[in-house]
Amino acid sequence: MNPFLHWLDRFSDFVSLPAAWGIFVAGAVIYLISEWRIRFLALLVQYLFVGVLFTRIFDTRPEMALMKIIVGWLISGALLLSAQIRGRTVREPGRLVSWATNLPFRVLVLLTATAIGWLASQRFSLPYVSAELGLACLLLVVLALLFFGTEEEDPTIIGVGVLNLLSALEIFYTAQDPGLLVSGLLVVVSLLVGLATSYLTVAEVPA
Amino acid sequence: MNLPGPLFVVGSLLAAAAGLQILRRLTLIVAWASATVAGAIAVFVTIVPLDQTVDLGPISVTLGAPLSILGRVVVIEPVDRLPLTLIALIASVLFLVAWRLLPRSNFFAAGLAILALLSGALMVEQVVYAALLVEIAALLAIFPLAEPIVDEQGNRYSGGARGGLQYMVYTTLALPGLMITQLLLEQFTVFPNDLGLLQTATILLAFSFALLLGAVPFQSWMSAVAMDGSPPMVTFLFTVNLGAVWFLLLAYLETYSWLSAQAAFGQLFTLVGLIMMVAGGTLAATQDRLGRIVGYATLVDNGAMFVALGSRHVTGLSLSIMMLIARPLSLGLMALGLDGLRRLGQGDDRAETLAGTAWQVPWRTLAFVMGGISMAGFPLSLAFAARWGLYRLLAGANLFQAVLALLSSAGVMMGLINIMRLLLTPSRTMVEVGATDEGSPDGPRVRREDPVVLAMILALLVGTIVLGLFPQLVSGIAFQMAEEFTFLSQ
Repeated sequence: MNPFLHWLDRFSDFVSLPAAWGIFVAGAVIYLISEWRIRFLALLVQYLFVGVLFTRIFDTRPEMALMKIIVGWLISGALLLSAQIRGRTVREPGRLVSWATNLPFRVLVLLTATAIGWLASQRFSLPYVSAELGLACLLLVVLALLFFGTEEEDPTIIGVGVLNLLSALEIFYTAQDPGLLVSGLLVVVSLLVGLATSYLTVAEVPA
Repeated sequence: MNLPGPLFVVGSLLAAAAGLQILRRLTLIVAWASATVAGAIAVFVTIVPLDQTVDLGPISVTLGAPLSILGRVVVIEPVDRLPLTLIALIASVLFLVAWRLLPRSNFFAAGLAILALLSGALMVEQVVYAALLVEIAALLAIFPLAEPIVDEQGNRYSGGARGGLQYMVYTTLALPGLMITQLLLEQFTVFPNDLGLLQTATILLAFSFALLLGAVPFQSWMSAVAMDGSPPMVTFLFTVNLGAVWFLLLAYLETYSWLSAQAAFGQLFTLVGLIMMVAGGTLAATQDRLGRIVGYATLVDNGAMFVALGSRHVTGLSLSIMMLIARPLSLGLMALGLDGLRRLGQGDDRAETLAGTAWQVPWRTLAFVMGGISMAGFPLSLAFAARWGLYRLLAGANLFQAVLALLSSAGVMMGLINIMRLLLTPSRTMVEVGATDEGSPDGPRVRREDPVVLAMILALLVGTIVLGLFPQLVSGIAFQMAEEFTFLSQ
C-alpha cells in the first residue's frame, strides 16, 4: 500500500470515533445557535468530519472523501449567502451569538435524542458498517429528524437536515457498495438539495 | 452513428431542456417546443418497433438496444413503452396548458429535464438507480414549484417555500428505504434462507412508496404543494411524477414477484387505499381553500388506485391505470380554473375571499368545478367510469368497503359543492382585482377571458365529457397496459 494511504488509514481509524461525535457536536451548534455565521462554521466542521469518516470507506481512494468535503463546503457557502439575504429582510443584524428560541426545550430534546441515538447504536449495530460509522449514521439521522421537527419555518435548517440524512445514507450505502456511479449520483443529489434549499430560502424574499 | 433507445430518449429531452432554459423568456416558442419534443418522444416510443433501427438523418436509433453505463444496464423493455408514452403525452399537454399561465417560467425546461430523469428511472433495471433518478427529478421540480408567479399588475399570486420544502423532505426520506432494499435483495440472493431480509425489504419498500405517493399519515406534502405551487406545476407533479412513481411500484412488484405473492399484499393495499380515501374525502369535505381541495382530491384518487391494485386482479390494475389516464384531464381543468381564481384573489384562494367571483370569471369557475367533479369520480367523466368499475369490483368482495369508497368520493364532492356555493354567492367584500370590463357602474362584471385559455378549457371539457361518455376508448389501452404485468391473476 502507498505509504500515504497507509498513514491515512491509520489516522482515520484513530479519529473515526471522535469524528462521529464531532459531527454531532457541530449539528448541535447549528440546532442551538441561530446566528448563521456560526452555523456556517459548524457546517464546515461537520463536513470535514464527514470527510474523515469517508476515508474509512474509500481507504484506497481518498480523493472521494476530499470531493465530499469540497462539495459540502460549496453547499455551506451557498446556504450562508441565502441565509444572509433572507436575514436582511427578516430582522436586523444581531449579536455574534444569538441562541435559538426555546433554548431549554431544545437542549432537553437534544439530550434525549442523543441518548436515544447512542443507546440505539449500542443495542442495534447497523449491518455492513463498523461501530463508529454506525454511530455516525444514527447521530446524523437523529439530527435530521430534530431539524425537520423543530425548524419547519426555516428552509435553510430543513435543508441542512436533508443534507444530514443524505450524509448518513452515503456513509451507510457506500460502505457496502462503493461504486463510482452511486457515489456520483449521491453527490449530484446533495448539490441539488443545496441549490434547492438556497432557492427556497430566498424564494419568499420580496424582490 | 447508432444510438441505443434510452440514450436517444433521455439525451434528446435533456438537450432540449438545456436549450429551452436559455430561451425561457420566449414563452410562446418554449411552450410549443417543449410540447413538441415531449409529444415526439411519446410518438417515437409508441410506433417504432424495439428491434428495428430507424434512420434520423445523421444518427440512427435502435429503440430496444441496451445502454451500459459503468456496467449498469438501461434498456426499454416492452412493458416500459406505454408508461413512457403516457408520461410524455401528459407532459406535452401540460406544457401547452402552461403556455398562457406561466410566462417566462422555468417550468418548461425543468419539466423536460424531469421527464428525462423519470424516463430513465422507468428504463433502468436496478432499484437504487431508479430511486436516485426519481429523487433528482423531485429536486428539480422544486424550482418551478416555488417560482413566484405574478399577474399583470405585478401582484404575486403563486409560489412559496413550504410546499417545496415538504416535498423535498418527504422524497428524501423515501430514498434510504429504496436504496437499502437493493442491498437486502442482493444479500438475499447470497442467503436465500434468510427470510428476515425479505421482510425488512418489504417494510422498507412499503414505507418508501407510502411517502412518495402521499399515503396517510404522510399526506401533508400533497396539500402543501397544492397550496403553494403554481397550478400547472402541481398538475405536472401529481400526474407525471406520481404517474412515474406508480409505474415504478408496478415494475418492482413485477420484478420481485414474492412481494405481491405475500398473503397480506392485497389486504394491505386495500386497507392503505381505503384509509387514504376516507382521510382525503373527510379533509376535502371541510376545506374552504381551493388549492387544498386539489391536494385532497388527488389523495382520494391515489387511495382509489391503491384499492384497485389491492384486488390483485388485472381488472383492478387496469382500473387504476384508467384513473391515472383520467387524472391529467381533471387536474388540467382544475389548474386552469384555480389559476384564474387565485389571480383574482391575489394569491388568496379561500372561498370566502373569492365569494361571488364565479360571475366575474365564469369559465375559470366552470373549469375548476368540472375538473373537481371529475377528480371526485362523478359523471360525466372518465374517472367516473373507472371509479364505478372499482365500486363494483369492491362490492363483489366486500360491500362495506365499496360504500366507504363511494362515501369518500362524495366527501370531495361535498367540499366542491360548498366552494361552488360560495363562489356563486355575491359578497359585499367581492374582490375587484384585475382588468374587469371598463365603465361598469354596477361593480365587477365578467372579465375578458384570454381566448387561448378559453380554447384550452373547452378542449379539456370536451375531452372529459367525450371520454366519460365513451370510456371504452381508454379502457382498452388501460387493459393492454395492465396485461403486460404478470404478477396479478387474470
